[in-house]
Amino acid sequence: MEFAAVVLPHLDAAYTLARYLTRNDADAQDVVQDAALRALKYFGGFRGTTGSDGRAWFLAIVRNTAYTWRHRQQGTAPVTEFNEELHSDDVAPTDPAAAMDLREAVDALPLEFREVIVLRELEGLSYKEISDVTGVPVGTVMSRLSRARKRLQRALAVPAQERT
Amino acid sequence: MTHPNLESQLDAYLDGELAEAEGRELESHLAQCPECTRFLDSRLALRSAIHARIAALRAPAALRQRVRSLSRRVRMPVIWRSLAIAASLAVVAFGGWQLGLRRGVGEGETGETLAEAVLTSHIRSLMPGHLTDVQSSDQHTVKPWFNGKLDYSPPVYDFAGRGYPLLGGRLDYIGGRSVGALVYGRRQHLINVLLWPTGRGGSADGAATQTRQGYHLVHWASPDYEHWVVSDLGLAELQDFSRLLQQADSVH
Repeated sequence: MEFAAVVLPHLDAAYTLARYLTRNDADAQDVVQDAALRALKYFGGFRGTTGSDGRAWFLAIVRNTAYTWRHRQQGTAPVTEFNEELHSDDVAPTDPAAAMDLREAVDALPLEFREVIVLRELEGLSYKEISDVTGVPVGTVMSRLSRARKRLQRALAVPAQERT
Repeated sequence: MTHPNLESQLDAYLDGELAEAEGRELESHLAQCPECTRFLDSRLALRSAIHARIAALRAPAALRQRVRSLSRRVRMPVIWRSLAIAASLAVVAFGGWQLGLRRGVGEGETGETLAEAVLTSHIRSLMPGHLTDVQSSDQHTVKPWFNGKLDYSPPVYDFAGRGYPLLGGRLDYIGGRSVGALVYGRRQHLINVLLWPTGRGGSADGAATQTRQGYHLVHWASPDYEHWVVSDLGLAELQDFSRLLQQADSVH
């Protein structure tokens, strides 16, 4: 497999992921281009692995590039690290009158929730592939995805499990 | 929801990620639990809403074009160059392991330029459609292919028995002349051998190695040819391969 043959078929997926992670078209394009450069640089490493079509490999580079970009954007300002406990499901139920648009609701998710939603719902990756891209265990992917959906439902006031 | 611990299980079930046994277990629970059934329905509603209202995006044409043209870029972006500098500093710190070039041909500016041209040729060959002009593992197909395309007939070997199968050959352009490039494989790695007649003769010993941008280059001059071997393969294996070439050359 040659570099462009590995990367170009996944450019839409790469852009979609970058667009949702950066929430901005110009930044997403920069991230994907930068990621492609890194991919070119490390292509030898990919060639060494077998049984992969390159999608998870390239998306992982895009994802890491986006995270690096985000840290640069935030400069030296203190960053609240993602915390599984802190970002639990206990979100205050949203006032239905203030229900957000779905796209806004996705954009409002913490980065770690947003990426699993995009990779699963928009790109159709398996839990294992999402685990490869994000570098977190499959079990964590599973719980993040479930929590992310719960947040989306609350934000959208989609009738869910309010009745207990 | 009385079974909050089941939520991620139910999600995994919807995603088709639950093992068959677990899935059956969950189904029998669902048959008697209206709450879990309602939960599943709400997740299905969310999923349809996402699919109906949020589409995967398409990369802008300009971006696609830029990524495509990266392949053809010769100059390295700043970040790579700083990485390359860091890498070579590390090499120096490791005790002058980088031998530099020897024997006139490789010294000074000419050698630098040649090494760069060889590396560029290698990187370019990794782009789609650039690896081989003649694709064959048969040396008796590859060697005659160069007839009429070069003013010399490069020696072609097949080291498949030693784990370096011949993959093919192509024409390239290095140092102001057309040269023959032979492509060999090693597992998933590619090795480019570029060679052209030497003006000054020499002996086959004294191969020099260097590392650029993560690639290793081995260079030597035999009595007949200048040889450049370049790959992302580990240095030890690349030197082993170079010795095979030198031995074969000295015999033929």
